[in-house]
Amino acid sequence: MPRIVASLCLGLIGLVLLTLAQSSSLTVTDASIPAVIPDPATLHALQTRYRSLSKQLNHLMPSQPYIVVDTARNHLYIKRRDHVMLDALASTGSGTILDKPGEAKGQWVFDTPRGEFTVQSKLINPVWVKPDWAFVEEGLAIPKSYTDRIEPGVLGEYALGFGKGFFIHGTLYTRLLGKNVTHGCIRLNDDDLKSVYRLAKVGTPIMIF
Amino acid sequence: MPRPSVTGILICFFVLTAAPPTRAADADYPLSVDVTNPAALQEATRILAEELKLASRPQAYVIVDLIDRAVLIKGRGVELHRFSIEHWSAGQLADASTTFRLQTRPPVTRRKIEPAAGGEQPPISLDDMPTDFTLQFSPPFSLIVHPSASDDIGRWLRSKGREWWMWLKVWAMTLATGRGPLPQPWLHLTVTSDHAQSLAWTVTEGMAFLIRRPPPSP
Repeated sequence: MPRIVASLCLGLIGLVLLTLAQSSSLTVTDASIPAVIPDPATLHALQTRYRSLSKQLNHLMPSQPYIVVDTARNHLYIKRRDHVMLDALASTGSGTILDKPGEAKGQWVFDTPRGEFTVQSKLINPVWVKPDWAFVEEGLAIPKSYTDRIEPGVLGEYALGFGKGFFIHGTLYTRLLGKNVTHGCIRLNDDDLKSVYRLAKVGTPIMIF
Repeated sequence: MPRPSVTGILICFFVLTAAPPTRAADADYPLSVDVTNPAALQEATRILAEELKLASRPQAYVIVDLIDRAVLIKGRGVELHRFSIEHWSAGQLADASTTFRLQTRPPVTRRKIEPAAGGEQPPISLDDMPTDFTLQFSPPFSLIVHPSASDDIGRWLRSKGREWWMWLKVWAMTLATGRGPLPQPWLHLTVTSDHAQSLAWTVTEGMAFLIRRPPPSP
């Protein structure tokens, strides 16, 4: 008796799977786009429109060098059209969170921002003005004096700002390049940072994904 | 040595410029498309027209190209990243002719920093991202991402189990009520685990997705 029940169950499962496979293959066939009747005039019009749109899209692409930051793989590229001028190992945001003291729901989220930005400033020998989170993270009191926030020599020789306090800068922790360890900034080694400083101008697009 | 005549040069010029391309992917034709196939050309044109709108704004967007079997992450018309699709299946894609906006990105557990705890806080990395997830869009569209069997048979079996369970529920509902679920486009993508995690990492809320659909079979 149990064997008969088991056989029936197996048969039922097989039937279900067969039905599913059939329904699956049926749905796949409607995956395509609606059929279009070939017509030379329509074809020519389509070709013309396609070329026109392609050219318009081409015009939107940056004609000057641009920076691409891949936060998943921690790489920074400088490209001109499709040509890669620089491929640098980087460190980007850690994605960790830190509670803001005295705020019930306030948090800092240490992500590198995604989207399109531009180089807004180029600095030589930058100094780090430590924000509140740098003190909170270390369990220190937030200083009232501006001078207590200044820390020279940790950002490398150059820094390129791209808004809201985010920079491409150097690092003392080169062993962490290639990892997501920063508070949102993009870190590079000294040589790559120098190349980026040389190749990028104020206004150079930065695409971060 | 005979010099080429002007007429000869002109003939060569006209032959070269008048010859219609049949398949192209260059500056004039950024997508690999059969330009003699009206259906394929119409789809490519639709994608370009939509992409043009997206590329005119400072944002990244995704093109799921079912013809070239690739997922492209782009910005300003520039290809930022690409990975291949191993397998796909879909339904109701005839209705997927618009730009879809992602409602929510796949969840990830963020680690909280304990102040002055000492030691390095473990960051989020690609390994923390899911390999098997569903993205929901507005207007309604579901993108279901699975890892391939070759990567991790256990994960693949689990994802297949979930897929079959979904089908079973739909089948049971259809049997019980006589009506299936509301038709809405959906797409199953099978990619490597790395690529699935990469997609989960890259997408952000509100991100635009375009689906390039294959032309109908002859």
